[in-house]
Amino acid sequence: MNESLTSEIHNTFKNTKCSIIGDNRLLIKTENEVIAALLKFLKDKNFNRLAMVSCVDWIKRETFEIIYIVASFCIENPLNIIIKTEISRKKPEINTIIDIFENAEPYEREIHELFGVNVIGHPRLIPLLLEREYKIPPLRKDFDMRKYSKELFDSIPFIGDKK
Amino acid sequence: MDRNKISKWLKEPGKMSQKYSLSVVYFCTGCGIIEIPPVITARWDAERFGVIPVASARHANLFMVTGYVSLKTLKAIIRTYEQMPEPKYVVGFGSCPINGGMYWDSYNTIKHLDKYIPVDGWIAGCMPRPEAIIIGVTHLWTLIDKGMAKGYVKYRKKYKYFRQNQEKLLGKLPWQPAFSTGDNNE
Repeated sequence: MNESLTSEIHNTFKNTKCSIIGDNRLLIKTENEVIAALLKFLKDKNFNRLAMVSCVDWIKRETFEIIYIVASFCIENPLNIIIKTEISRKKPEINTIIDIFENAEPYEREIHELFGVNVIGHPRLIPLLLEREYKIPPLRKDFDMRKYSKELFDSIPFIGDKK
Repeated sequence: MDRNKISKWLKEPGKMSQKYSLSVVYFCTGCGIIEIPPVITARWDAERFGVIPVASARHANLFMVTGYVSLKTLKAIIRTYEQMPEPKYVVGFGSCPINGGMYWDSYNTIKHLDKYIPVDGWIAGCMPRPEAIIIGVTHLWTLIDKGMAKGYVKYRKKYKYFRQNQEKLLGKLPWQPAFSTGDNNE
């Protein structure tokens, strides 16, 4: 079953690498452009649960890695599929997948907010988690957390009994 | 009732009854809340000490902040604190509200809770044992007895400075000032 699935993915999508990395885990590395088509293809194959959308900042490689995990409720073939794609760090843009998996909406908002990745076609990219505005999104590696927290929180004075 | 304390009861009945009936609002900000269920239920039974959890902040007079405080939580903490009736006491639970704890370099965790609301007592530790809460409550009794747990008076008097600190961090606050922001409120 897994082999037929991987060969089918190889045939349908160019520049795609599949590898089995453990029990019930399949890793697919692909390009950013085919993500929507690949997810739609997998959803038709009964992988109809999107578990997570995540992002990793590889500052030395100058890329963001976007990770999608889809899973199947099928008992005969319980397979988790991890899809990884890399986008440029200078102009980070991904396409939304809300029309395929509706529950991707908060994940994409989170990625937009914490990494500054622009999500094209998302209906509402309004603040989800953060309370303040940041020049550099706070989960990027070049955000100096210690300097920021020192400057912000230490500048606020204690309130003594005398003042 | 303890017979030795009868004279105290007759002299300061208000203070004594506040002391022995602390209605607590447990504010579940972080991991500290996991210590609370054993304390208020059969194992450590905090009701022996007159400590009882209440549903609404408007019925409470002890405010326990259990765990780290993020910017978004701070907003809720200030609102909750301002809704509580006086006299009210605040206890910071765990090391994170004291000085940031293990989140000392985080971008989103405030380091010192007492810059934004007055805090009467701290329970240090990461995590404190349930016994520490009970010891903290007995220490709070002593403070109330000596008239040292006056955080709410300080908040009223120095409201201008507290509000300044809050607005410095959170921007313009969407609610009205609780007291006048003049120099010296009485």
